[in-house]
Amino acid sequence: MKQLSVALAGNPNAGKSSIFNALTGSHQHVGNWPGKTVEKKEGKFQRGEYEIRVVDLPGTYSLTAFSPEEVIARDYIINQKPDVVITVLDAANLERNLYLAVQVLELGVPVMVTLNMTDIADSRGIKIDEEKLGLALRARVVRTIASKGEGIEKLADTIIQTAEETRA
Amino acid sequence: MNRSATLKSNTFSIDYGQEIEGEITRLMNEIEATPAIAPMYPPRWLAIKLLEADEDIQMRLQVLEGGVHLLDIAQKSADHLQTLFGDDADIFIAERRYGWINGLVREVVQRPIFDRLTISDKIDRVVTHRLLGIPIFMAMMWAVFKMTADVSAPYLDWTDAMVNGPIARWIAAILGWIGFGGTWLESLVVNGIVAGVGNVLVFVPVLMFLYLTLAVLEDSGYMARAAFVMDRLMHKLGLHGKSFLPMLVGFGCTVPAMYATRTLENKKDRILTGLLVPFMSCGARLPVYVLFAGIFFPKNSGAVVFWMYLTGIITAILLGILLKNTLFKGQGSSAFVMELPPYRLPTLRGIWRHTWERTNSFVKKAWTIILATSVVMWVLMAIPAKSGGSFGGMDFNQSVFAWLARGIAPAFQPLGFGTWEASSALVTGFVAKEVVISTMAQVYATEGDEEIAEPTTFFEDVGEVITTFIGATVDTVKSLPLIIGVNLLGDKAEEEPTTLMTAIKTGFESSSGGHGALAALAFMVFVLIYTPCMATVVAERHELGTNWMWLSIIGQSALAWLMAFILFQGGKLLGLG
Repeated sequence: MKQLSVALAGNPNAGKSSIFNALTGSHQHVGNWPGKTVEKKEGKFQRGEYEIRVVDLPGTYSLTAFSPEEVIARDYIINQKPDVVITVLDAANLERNLYLAVQVLELGVPVMVTLNMTDIADSRGIKIDEEKLGLALRARVVRTIASKGEGIEKLADTIIQTAEETRA
Repeated sequence: MNRSATLKSNTFSIDYGQEIEGEITRLMNEIEATPAIAPMYPPRWLAIKLLEADEDIQMRLQVLEGGVHLLDIAQKSADHLQTLFGDDADIFIAERRYGWINGLVREVVQRPIFDRLTISDKIDRVVTHRLLGIPIFMAMMWAVFKMTADVSAPYLDWTDAMVNGPIARWIAAILGWIGFGGTWLESLVVNGIVAGVGNVLVFVPVLMFLYLTLAVLEDSGYMARAAFVMDRLMHKLGLHGKSFLPMLVGFGCTVPAMYATRTLENKKDRILTGLLVPFMSCGARLPVYVLFAGIFFPKNSGAVVFWMYLTGIITAILLGILLKNTLFKGQGSSAFVMELPPYRLPTLRGIWRHTWERTNSFVKKAWTIILATSVVMWVLMAIPAKSGGSFGGMDFNQSVFAWLARGIAPAFQPLGFGTWEASSALVTGFVAKEVVISTMAQVYATEGDEEIAEPTTFFEDVGEVITTFIGATVDTVKSLPLIIGVNLLGDKAEEEPTTLMTAIKTGFESSSGGHGALAALAFMVFVLIYTPCMATVVAERHELGTNWMWLSIIGQSALAWLMAFILFQGGKLLGLG
């Protein structure tokens, strides 16, 4: 079985935990980041011929050095070089959420984007052109409603696609 | 999706404009020429961070070969940009980033033409209102306590009847059937384990309702507003606004609250908050208030419980101000942005998950720590203190445990509860507040007369279990309007106090010289203020360090004694109770 490692980055309240739970189900392990008093959640799941390990990075608004959480998140991406970083965006607050996504992208790692909570965006009449968004960010975009489990299968497939493309 | 050709690796970059891009390229060349650094970071990212004067990166580069040189060049680049733009480079870089995002959002997002205030905004206008915010918060908290105290009561009675009725009978029957009837083993199981663990489990309904209401408030988004509303007040009191979040968590359980202090960036703020968190009355302390308020203040038990919580909050605030101006003097609180997530309709699954996780952790404690202390206590109570008594065969009054508790009891004499029963409950309560009542059940049960159970068959018991559960559910639904003060249950006939309640009342009346209610209040305050549990001590050591842990334990005990003393003696002087 092939191994993939994936990190979840996103703002607090963007639904990162829901995505994490939906992906990994009950296969979770909660601990601390080494030497830090910040919670670290890890889990894994299987999809096709892959075993995919997921690390939930601390929820942050930015990747500057202002808080330990931000430093943990960027250190993990730089040092552990996950195969794919999923940036979880709250579709109803896209602009603010993109500030983190852009900084993750600037790290030059393989990134894919999850537009989460699209039901709330829909209910407010917010329409997002995910095709254009993907082109501008040069990343694959998946729509999810993690709290209802919608889009999770597609997300899992897209993780593998993104990893395979960048590995080739 | 057939765009894979354009998606090879991440080729994303923002164009920061000619001047900044020029400096980025210059720094990237320098980075590539520094072998100790080049492989460690993505070069473009590092160049941008150097221009932003990122402190963490600066610190790390300093110790690497060629790092100081690189930092020098970066400084020159940043200076150059500053003279060009008249502002720090990081501000300009952030502006470009925001500008780029703003442009992208215009491109890809279509909003409704009338982008009115969302429902969330409308609700926030009311609940975070400058004047209305705090009364609404207090009303919400009041509803939480009514919910836990009144609405859960029928289930509490039901569980109580189950544990002390059919379950105790079945266990005794099984023991008798395998030949242990009347032995010390039966005594250990029935008087030690069932009485100890059982009397804690009967409070599971109370906690479930508490956690349920907290989960609804959290998942709906109101909890964040509560923190926001209190933030203003906290700042006025000279405390950090973010301190309020761990304190809110503390109403559920002190242990996760202690771990929640890590959300504070400033170390001193973190320690100060960690010292105050234990005064937020946790779920495990609630059963003690409910029991004592029920015994001594049956008419106003809800108000007494509410005042216990308020006393904890006020103590924390006053102590916070005191510490801020003494031990933690000169620590300016840093500004911070508090996010208000949009209101969401809580999902049943989410609420159930939160409620279950927390209740479950309480039950787990009941089975491990509480079982262990119950058994240790039973053993201590079974060993005779004087020669002549036999193991498990004499009055508990003569046991080693009673002898130990009697030694400590005089310290509680000025507080109105200097009996060995009360002091032994406080001793075991240091391990976990969940065992305060179970200890009392054990030590007082020895003095009350045994209830004579009518013989029943197994099937009668099962029938009783089911019918009384349905009755409890009906009563609970009927009691929901109690939250807003409407009573559908009709005036309750004076409830028959249990043997434990009668025993506690008699004990406190005699130890306080007739001021039982005052002594009970003093006891409740003592339980509120002294060290919550062993698990909290462990959490304090993790988060605050060993020295602060000891200070915390000693300080809490001293303060608990002092406050109970002032309450009892002051109350007597004023002629109350």
